[in-house]
Amino acid sequence: MLSEDELLGRMAQILRRDIGPSVEDGFAKTQAFMAGVILEKLSGQLRHAAVHDRDDRADAARLGTELGGALGPDDGEALRAAVATVARAVEDPDVAVGPALNELVRQLYAERDRLGGERFTALLQRTRRTLRARLDRQLEYSA
Amino acid sequence: MSTTSTAAEGDLEGRIRDYLAGKLGAGSSLALRDVQRIAVGWSHETWLFDATWTDGAGTHTEGYCLRRDPGNALLRELSDLGVQYKVLLGLAGTDVPAPRAYFFEDDPAILGAPFLVMEKVPGVCPSPWGRQGRQFYAEAAARGVLPLSFTDALIALHTCDWRSAGLDFLGVPGAGNDFCRREVATWKSLIEQAEFDVDPILTDTIGWLEANAPATDARPWALVHGAYRTGNVLVHNDRVSAILDWETPVIGDPLYDVAYVLSELNREGTELLSNLVDRDTFISRYEAGTGIEIDLSVCDYYHVLYAMRSAAFWMSASGLFSTGRNPDLRLARTAWSVPVVLNQAARRLGY
Repeated sequence: MLSEDELLGRMAQILRRDIGPSVEDGFAKTQAFMAGVILEKLSGQLRHAAVHDRDDRADAARLGTELGGALGPDDGEALRAAVATVARAVEDPDVAVGPALNELVRQLYAERDRLGGERFTALLQRTRRTLRARLDRQLEYSA
Repeated sequence: MSTTSTAAEGDLEGRIRDYLAGKLGAGSSLALRDVQRIAVGWSHETWLFDATWTDGAGTHTEGYCLRRDPGNALLRELSDLGVQYKVLLGLAGTDVPAPRAYFFEDDPAILGAPFLVMEKVPGVCPSPWGRQGRQFYAEAAARGVLPLSFTDALIALHTCDWRSAGLDFLGVPGAGNDFCRREVATWKSLIEQAEFDVDPILTDTIGWLEANAPATDARPWALVHGAYRTGNVLVHNDRVSAILDWETPVIGDPLYDVAYVLSELNREGTELLSNLVDRDTFISRYEAGTGIEIDLSVCDYYHVLYAMRSAAFWMSASGLFSTGRNPDLRLARTAWSVPVVLNQAARRLGY
């Protein structure tokens, strides 16, 4: 039996190779080809989903741990809470990594003045390493 | 230029004919010919046609372009046909190549939605993203005339007297970095309306843009098109016959358009700007024609802004599909374009 991503990939191939070219109407033809492209992207996303999720969570948890160690009680409560959420990314499957990282970045900018330029830059640069790795994984099926 | 069958628009065609007949005083003599709905583009619906009618002065034939606001098109939140109409009216007395605007109707009772009628300018508008389009612009680049015309049209745009043209209704930025902050706020609002989880890289990009907005008021404000590139200009006999797609015009820093021309977003597999113009030729001709010195550091800021705009654009596009407002699968596919433009933003920010 085909796996889900293999099935989607096969459907994409049929749409692009067989169905699309035989459609006469220009708009419908474009839609057929586009359906094929979408299924292809979905297939890739599905194929990588488990590994990417595991890696996303591991990276996020490492980031949260490191940033947690760099923050103290004088730092903003909302920022510390955002870091703590990110740090739970492995142990707590309910943590949605994308929104958690987004909240962290939002809080970093909100706390920029209080953190001071040097600390802000250091924390943001460390966060960007995690974001870069996550984006590289997304590009495996998006690009 | 790709078009779709107009069979499904038969009733609409009759209503267009009745409307034009009334506006032109043509009565029952008016006939429409060569009606084509343009399939490219994701914003307003566009039809091209010729109208022929007879009156006391004889028989007339005019070409028209009609754009209708379907209410579910891309950039709907930022773009208004009434604004486009006023911009085109203002440009009529300038050297900027643009279609003449004839009529604008806000009343949905006439054609089911607000619409704009303007001149059908001769020319073609190949998409630079397809193989045929790339070949079209590569051949034009080799002949050498169109690249200069493309640059000159931008010079005409940025040197036009927008106040005399009555275009200050678009809003004039304040001093310092107000123009940049306005643009960031405009596109940020589009992201907020997209009803998507915002990617942390996009939040980082917006934060960086807000924190690093440069002062741009040392240069005179200009009428800025907002998306000046091949694919948004009509080409006739190797010259730009009209600048199209006036969906995001603003009064502001002319380098905003220049940066878009310089951007890697608008060329695929070629070093030519917008798949057409040699970079050095463009810069020297533009600076000589406008008297504006191109500040590449400001353009670098705008490159980040354009990456943010692109992400907003694609998020808005896929949001239209995912919320059921527009069934076009091309919109659904754009969800996977967001990481690609975020990659450009991330690289610009140094990661």
